[in-house]
Amino acid sequence: MATSSTDITSLVHEPIDRDTLGAYVRGNGDGAIVIFDGFVRDHSKNRRTLYLEYEAYEPMALAKIQEIAAHLHNQFSIHRIAVVHRLGRLEIGETSVYIVVSAAHRAAAFDACRYAIDTLKRTVPIWKKEYFEDGSSWADGELPPVPSATSAVKPAS
Amino acid sequence: MPSASQSVRVKVLFFGRLKDIAGQAHEAVDLAPAADIESLFARYVSSYPELQQYRSSLVASCNQEFAPWDTVLRTGDEVAFLPPVSGG
Repeated sequence: MATSSTDITSLVHEPIDRDTLGAYVRGNGDGAIVIFDGFVRDHSKNRRTLYLEYEAYEPMALAKIQEIAAHLHNQFSIHRIAVVHRLGRLEIGETSVYIVVSAAHRAAAFDACRYAIDTLKRTVPIWKKEYFEDGSSWADGELPPVPSATSAVKPAS
Repeated sequence: MPSASQSVRVKVLFFGRLKDIAGQAHEAVDLAPAADIESLFARYVSSYPELQQYRSSLVASCNQEFAPWDTVLRTGDEVAFLPPVSGG
């Protein structure tokens, strides 16, 4: 699925360069950018979190992020998109996912950014393990929607 | 074991807690002709019975697309078992 060649979609193993992404997405024809900055919280369900580790099915995760970007261009009047997710060990306060959307008008940018993070959290194969003082556990997640049987879909090739 | 000429060789990947249970991230597996994803998972359940409790709360992919459990596998397919996703 093609995305606009000017979008940025990536998985990274180092800190996300937020300023560069924001500056890149912002164009002279735009009137707004909306940013979603997701970062590591110091607690989970009343337990103190020490750090997180993210892993991904990397090629599929990147493809799913690119599908989201393509969908945003089809659904919303937006200019550019950056979606970057970090993997590996992240400390408290570090950004795990950063999404920037630019548009001529704010409504489209807000709507597209919200759609992007909500869809990412439901459909992109990335997993988070939470480390606490007394152990670790995989975070509760969401089950992506999948066709229930092959009768209505093309067989995998 | 199916004969080499008839068997289907696929790559299998595990993620999250499934990887912890299976003790590995990926391996190549030879299957009988017409095996589907459900039968592939059942084969792992027989080796790792703990996997059974997650059957209703995981999805499968074939060649990096979400896939129904009755997807019939072919040589060269890449199958992954995916727990509920928790990115973001």
